[in-house]
Amino acid sequence: MAAWAFLLCGAAGAQQQETRPAAPQSSAAASTEATNGGGKLDDAELRTEGEKRFHANCGRCHQAPQKFPPRMMATIVRHMRVRATLTEKDMQAILAYMTQ
Amino acid sequence: MRSISLSVGRRGWLRIAAGLIVLFVAPVVHAQSDASDSTALIKPVPVFSVQTGFITTFEGGTPHLGPLVTPLLLVPVGDKWLIETRGTLESDLAPQPGSPGFKGSLESNVDYLQLDYIANKYVTVSVGRYLTPFGIYNERLYPIFIRDLQTDPLILGIEAGEYGAGTGAMLRGGFDVAQGVEFNYAAYFSANSTVEHMESDRAAGFRAGVFLPGPRLEVGGSFQHLLQEERKNSFGFHFEWQPMPLPLDLRAEYARSYDGSGYWIESAYKLSQVPVWRNTMRHVQVVARMQQFFVNPEVVEEEGDAAGFTANTNMFEIGVNYYFRDDFRFVSSYGRQFAPQGGNENVWTIGMTYRVALPVGHGDIR
Repeated sequence: MAAWAFLLCGAAGAQQQETRPAAPQSSAAASTEATNGGGKLDDAELRTEGEKRFHANCGRCHQAPQKFPPRMMATIVRHMRVRATLTEKDMQAILAYMTQ
Repeated sequence: MRSISLSVGRRGWLRIAAGLIVLFVAPVVHAQSDASDSTALIKPVPVFSVQTGFITTFEGGTPHLGPLVTPLLLVPVGDKWLIETRGTLESDLAPQPGSPGFKGSLESNVDYLQLDYIANKYVTVSVGRYLTPFGIYNERLYPIFIRDLQTDPLILGIEAGEYGAGTGAMLRGGFDVAQGVEFNYAAYFSANSTVEHMESDRAAGFRAGVFLPGPRLEVGGSFQHLLQEERKNSFGFHFEWQPMPLPLDLRAEYARSYDGSGYWIESAYKLSQVPVWRNTMRHVQVVARMQQFFVNPEVVEEEGDAAGFTANTNMFEIGVNYYFRDDFRFVSSYGRQFAPQGGNENVWTIGMTYRVALPVGHGDIR
């Protein structure tokens, strides 16, 4: 019971940090572009693409997770790139969606 | 003779080296042009996660209490490296005849402890102890907070082997092969390991799959050759589909080896489209799974069982899960197992699963 209480308290604390998407990124990040099949995507398009890829890829195995802080998300997406054999474009688009 | 074999060996090494250069270095030039600056700005931080659950199972009327804790640690190093490890602490507490209460021992295991190097967009190299990439269940669906039904598929013994993990090296990756078509693969070699809590068999194998993100459909196949004892081959196929208009997951696997063959088919439906009690229904998931396992009678006769079974076994299960959040849920299921010679029994499960993930460091932007 104590372990459950500890974990639930930890979750409640972490959840406040995790449930909300991160604040808008720095201007450097906001002005960035990524490629998609030879064409360029701006941040808004990358987020839209990321949302699509997020539901298609992550939903294959589990429920859609809540958003974590950006630096945490970068690690988790790298982990999932290896674990779920995500493509590089999937990883970039999902990371952009999950951190903005 | 020795000089000849050395010269052939040297030539072989040169060929391998040339192949590795082509495999790892050449694509980097192309990959660099695809790198996204926005994602590169985010410096990853180590992550510690705990997945835990308490599952009570009634098998043929006998209760089993199953507490389980699975710690996971991810340590990114630089832009290309990742150290990842997961362990399991679990127990199966059951009543013992003639003594009060529930008794059982604590079991611990290192599920994986691997170093990953993302060489380029096509190849990731993993070394260490890794989950056997055969089919989809062992590597992707096994964690307690992911699996929709808490009982293992009957064919898990074929696809994951005795230990569910290998010790050695693996090449893996996923990449686009055409617009809307992704290819993923994993090829591995495992050495025999007798290290306590980190055992593995000597084996080699691969898995390959094609994923269509548009219709959300994946199909693939796996093969493994055991390089010890009976030197048996195993192969299998997997299928996943999440049809776009429905909150429905369809998954299936087939596996065959010298021990026997079998399959499972599972569907999981989230009731978010039910027009009544929407706030409650959107948290509810109903699951159904059908599976069969056919033993090789020769193996049963020689060894007493085949992948843990003494006779052909069928099982049907239905379950209801309630998601308080994506990482915290109530799970329950009822299953009926059919096997000759008194193997018919009801299997009930009920429990809770939970996962927490915490950064080990600051969660800001570089």
